[in-house]
Amino acid sequence: MNDELEQLYQTTYTAVVRFLYRKVWDAERAEDLAQEVFVRALAHRPEKPRAWLFAVAANLARDEARAAVRRKRHLTLLKGDPAAAPATAASADDLVERDEQMSSVHDALDALTPRDREILLLWDAGLSYPEIAAQTGLAVGAVGTTLARARKRLVEAYDRQHQRNHAAHS
Amino acid sequence: MTGNTNGTMRHIPEEELHAYLDQALSRQQCVEIESHLAFCPACRAERDGIAALRDRTTALLATLAPPLRLAPPFDTIRQQHAARTSQRQHRLRSITWAASLVAAVGLGWTASRIVSPDLPERLGSIPYASEAAASRPPAPAPRTAGDSSLARALSAAPAVLAAPDSAAAKAPAVARAEAPRRRPAAVRSDVAADSGRAEARVATPGIRAPAFELSTLGQPSTGPDLELDGVWRTMSWAGAKAEAGDALPHLDGLPVVEVQLQGSREDGGRPLMMVAQQLASGEVIRTFEGPVADISQLLAKRTPTNPEPGALLTDSTGGQPSSTASSSGRARTTMAMQRGDRMLAITGTLPADSLRAMIRRLNAEMRTK
Repeated sequence: MNDELEQLYQTTYTAVVRFLYRKVWDAERAEDLAQEVFVRALAHRPEKPRAWLFAVAANLARDEARAAVRRKRHLTLLKGDPAAAPATAASADDLVERDEQMSSVHDALDALTPRDREILLLWDAGLSYPEIAAQTGLAVGAVGTTLARARKRLVEAYDRQHQRNHAAHS
Repeated sequence: MTGNTNGTMRHIPEEELHAYLDQALSRQQCVEIESHLAFCPACRAERDGIAALRDRTTALLATLAPPLRLAPPFDTIRQQHAARTSQRQHRLRSITWAASLVAAVGLGWTASRIVSPDLPERLGSIPYASEAAASRPPAPAPRTAGDSSLARALSAAPAVLAAPDSAAAKAPAVARAEAPRRRPAAVRSDVAADSGRAEARVATPGIRAPAFELSTLGQPSTGPDLELDGVWRTMSWAGAKAEAGDALPHLDGLPVVEVQLQGSREDGGRPLMMVAQQLASGEVIRTFEGPVADISQLLAKRTPTNPEPGALLTDSTGGQPSSTASSSGRARTTMAMQRGDRMLAITGTLPADSLRAMIRRLNAEMRTK
């Protein structure tokens, strides 16, 4: 089983990192969490490891987001104190945008419903329809429908955004 | 899905084309779709559109990626996992060690409030000195939960004379109260392997080799000797060995000053045993071994009067009567360890750590016999 997990690690590590990155928007954090996922896999030795990895990753990312929200709230409370002005130093909440396109895609992704977004990201991470179905509670037949909708909406939202940006610049 | 080729054809639904391109359909379904596509330009166009949509989605999502870095070697993951496992074990040990320490300190505080050998008239109020008193509430305002449970255990001990089995039953309850987070699966039976750390264990008679440690910090006493109740027979070392055999509790290497036995093999068990040995410093330590109830009761007593030094001692080796605690002025300490339904105890005017080390050594030596 150890070998199997190591194999899986080699083949899916990058996908897990990317999956996490699209949730936590912090490259280093994504890598830390990805490693955490595999450490836990060693501890739990799940039967269906590939799907399990992403389920755990999703949970970790969600916990991370909650913690970030709490931190943000905390920072907001401190805002009244001039000495405690939150520095522009990157926290995990900060988006590290490399270019405008990335920003547009990010916005387009945000335009999706959480469920559509999740299924799209899981597909992009390499999970199969049955794996996606198992993790999200969807019927296998409904996965295709959801992906169809999600893809269409993503591209439409991106095009809209992109047009807007273009219009702004011209 | 596909209608007959002759009549009106149903076109392939959008989501099916997505699934088809995602290779999520069965071979059979694929065959049906492909044969339809062969005849239906509309669906072919639809398929092409969806293929392009898929590609665009993939390309867009590809921009949402962190700078590519090599995965760290899998060994890193293994190491983190191993570290975490040992961390968990260490934490468990620390918790129980801390719990037993709290209990021991608490008990010492409680005991010192109860026991006061300088005031003999208060002895009657010692809750655990007699059976009659056992029914009374055990201790005045215990400071921590650990205090009261241990004090209760001591008070319960004499009552056990009537029901010998319940002492063992009570001890586990006490141990559990001390270290509630301890899981039975983590009990280690090898006491000798510890390096100087006190651990509380669940004493389950007959299941493993359990150990239960009490430490009682008595008041500094001028009368060092515990009054030995019942009929004690003073023996020579040889005689005691003949009767009790290898079960005589003693530390190898120290000269034996006295041996006393109570009860005999005819009683159906090993006798209650006391071995007094002399340290290089001249101090005498006493080792006791016997049924839990008897030893507990013994340890709880204090002598009301100060016997003459050496009065209780007959010197079997022909040497000096041992000097006692009065010379060092230090408190006499007792360390006890439960072994099944019997108890091992050492008393001496030594720091608790020393006694603890000694009792561990003693336990180990006795176990090998």
